[in-house]
Amino acid sequence: MSLLEVRGISKHFGGLFALNDLEFSVEEHEIVSVIGPNGAGKSTLFNVITGLYHPDGGDIRFRDESIVGLTPNQITRLGIARTFQTVHLFPNMTVLENAMVGQHCRSKAGVFGAIVRSRRQRTEEERIRAGAQEALDFFGTKLAGYRQDQPAFVLSYANRRRLEMARAMATEPTILLLDEPTAGMNPHETLVLRDQIVRMRDERGLTIVVIEHDMRVVKGVSDRVVACDYGQKIAEGSYDEVANDEHVIEAYLGTKAVG
Amino acid sequence: MRTPGLGRQVVRAGLIGATAIIYCAMVGLIEQLDPRKIVGSQLSIAGVLFLGLPPIIAAYVATRPRQVRGEEVQPGIGEAALAGALVGLIVAAITMAAIGLANLLGIDTTRNIFKSVSPTLLGILYLHRSAVSGLAILSVVIVLLGAFGGVLRACSVGVRRPIVIGLSSVVGFGMLQRIIPTAMDQLGLPKAWLYSTTYLGLTWFGAVLTFAVAAGLTVLFMRKGSQMQRGIVWMTGGERQARTAEVIVLVVILLLLPFVAGTILSQILGSVGIYVLMGLGLNIVVGYAGLLDLGYVAFFAVGAYITGVLTGGLLITTLGLKAPAFHGGLSFFIALPIVILAAALVGVLIGAPVLRLRGDYLAIVTLGFGEIARALFTSDWLKDIFGGTQGLTKIPAAPIGSLDFRNPRTFYYLVLVFCILAAYIAWRLQESRVGRAWNAMREDEQVAEAVGVSSTRYKLLAFALGGAIGAVGGALFAVQIGSLNDASFTILVSITTLAIVILGGMGSIPGVVVGALVLIGVPGLLSEFQAYQLLVYGAVLMAVMILRPQGLIPNVRRTRELHEEERAQDKWAGDLVGDEDVVAEPSPLGEGSG
Repeated sequence: MSLLEVRGISKHFGGLFALNDLEFSVEEHEIVSVIGPNGAGKSTLFNVITGLYHPDGGDIRFRDESIVGLTPNQITRLGIARTFQTVHLFPNMTVLENAMVGQHCRSKAGVFGAIVRSRRQRTEEERIRAGAQEALDFFGTKLAGYRQDQPAFVLSYANRRRLEMARAMATEPTILLLDEPTAGMNPHETLVLRDQIVRMRDERGLTIVVIEHDMRVVKGVSDRVVACDYGQKIAEGSYDEVANDEHVIEAYLGTKAVG
Repeated sequence: MRTPGLGRQVVRAGLIGATAIIYCAMVGLIEQLDPRKIVGSQLSIAGVLFLGLPPIIAAYVATRPRQVRGEEVQPGIGEAALAGALVGLIVAAITMAAIGLANLLGIDTTRNIFKSVSPTLLGILYLHRSAVSGLAILSVVIVLLGAFGGVLRACSVGVRRPIVIGLSSVVGFGMLQRIIPTAMDQLGLPKAWLYSTTYLGLTWFGAVLTFAVAAGLTVLFMRKGSQMQRGIVWMTGGERQARTAEVIVLVVILLLLPFVAGTILSQILGSVGIYVLMGLGLNIVVGYAGLLDLGYVAFFAVGAYITGVLTGGLLITTLGLKAPAFHGGLSFFIALPIVILAAALVGVLIGAPVLRLRGDYLAIVTLGFGEIARALFTSDWLKDIFGGTQGLTKIPAAPIGSLDFRNPRTFYYLVLVFCILAAYIAWRLQESRVGRAWNAMREDEQVAEAVGVSSTRYKLLAFALGGAIGAVGGALFAVQIGSLNDASFTILVSITTLAIVILGGMGSIPGVVVGALVLIGVPGLLSEFQAYQLLVYGAVLMAVMILRPQGLIPNVRRTRELHEEERAQDKWAGDLVGDEDVVAEPSPLGEGSG
């Protein structure tokens, strides 16, 4: 039994099949890269897994239980967190608060606790703060110090990406889905992040699925690579196997002219 | 004009200023408010606000610094004075032309269309003199005021602020002529030196003194403000203690207010208090959770009618008063928890069908719900319970022993207690996990969901809590006036409450208080404004949206953010140059706030 199994999932928008009977699975503590040309259905796959879209067919099983039909917040609570292809933060909340929202699903204080300021509410608030802090600390000094009290909108592009990952990590997930985490980062930042993705697995015990276009990153982090095109899996295996697969080359470069 | 673009600004400001004057004259504001004098026998509210203020503001705006090729250019004093005078000249010329046109057509003809253009109005515009000399003086004054506005803009802050605050204080004191003299009487102070007994407004001596004191205090505060603050902190032994001391002083003032002020003020403050409650409730829905609710009157009605029925109000029928089909006879304080629960339930009922709607669509549907609530409570169908359009009457005044709360002063205390309670609850919620969830949901609902916040749950929670607080406002309203009918539950209640929240600053608790004071308190003090209430709301809201979109007292966090932005930009520059890990400096604002 795999940790996450995507079984024959389909999703179409009108006549366009964004996902067409796609199959793949993720084992615990694995880093799986999903590659494919633009429009191959990679982000749609993430949206379907995290409950933003309902699949038109197929099943998604997490720890051998179907998560199809659950709301996004329920899925996050079960332990699947994600980042978005275009960064989506809460721009007017501070950096620390953004990460603290991540801890929301791991805490329970309600209206009454907040009003009477019960001891439980206060200790939990401390715990939320500590949890958020820990997630931010993963990125070293990048999200530390004075930055934590700044609204998220003042952050640099790379820091926004980091904060989005920190926020996802603050939800204490089992699986982290990263949608093009290095997009918009400079080469140096990209390399640092590549190592950080590996560290997320090694130090925090996360299972990671990453959509990525930068092949250095894909090569550097992946235990396994899944290549998609037209909503279908066209190849799967180690980086070298997939990189040399003729279907993959064809999807990226087109067929060789005959004659 | 050396400053590029100034000429165009002058013409534009002049046109707008003239439009303002002519508009105020034609809707009757000038005639209405002329009898109310602010200073001496000459300066009336109409004169100051609708004839004097437009050229000053127009000139002030026209000469503001502007970006020219990336640099900020502020016209010098001489240039600003000239430009301001030109603005005044345009304002005066157009106003005169309009008056001439009215005369040319004949007052009676004009009046057929514009009912407020009366001989009295012209008399006021002629400054109660002959037409020629009156208009000549008016024109000169407008030109001078324009020049004054320009000079004011060109002055340094150190000069400008004391003058503006001094003048505003004079106008404010003049407008509070029904309150301050009464208070002085109550305290046994002589008042003839400050307020004229014949014209009711300030005496000239009083006006000059008010200006001097207000301006002087402003200068003092600008120079020594930080020292004074440090002094307070030192005296009370710490920042936290200083803040506690501030709150205590504020509460003491609030407690003593009705003793100092007369019945009228207490009455007005009671109404302000009801709207503070309403504002705090709606602030949770709109300000915290970001759900635009235009039907908030539903909760007000639920609170008022259920209180009325439960505490034993009577139906008005053609055959006299009669007990409703459901006659409670409970004490107000026992009925209140039931009312709160009922309102929370209504909140959930209203919230459930609109969970998937956002923005405009949500606004329209809630607007409908507000009307449905009113229609239900005043319907013939429920006539035996709520009395139809005639409504309920003889609602008990929430007596505790011999103490009853229909008296404006005692009612004020009742409202005050609930306001403080509601403000505390709102503040605690904002600073909690719940508040963060609302915040996240307001910023981006889908992302909040993906981070693990249940939008269903927190939307319903916002509607229920906001509704419950609003219903307390309605319950107190029932106690305050003792009888309810359909006229009290129109859409105007929703709009007023929303205007209070927006004016004060979305998500800001002190903002709600200030918003209620401005939109409920000021019209209460100036009964002449009552007919122009909506006009004033419209003008005030437009002004706020243009000049201060974050509201009068914006959410503290937001203000801090706006200041931090610049600092952050500087820090960024460092990042871009050295990139890898500029050592994070502790923020100066971090001290003490952690």
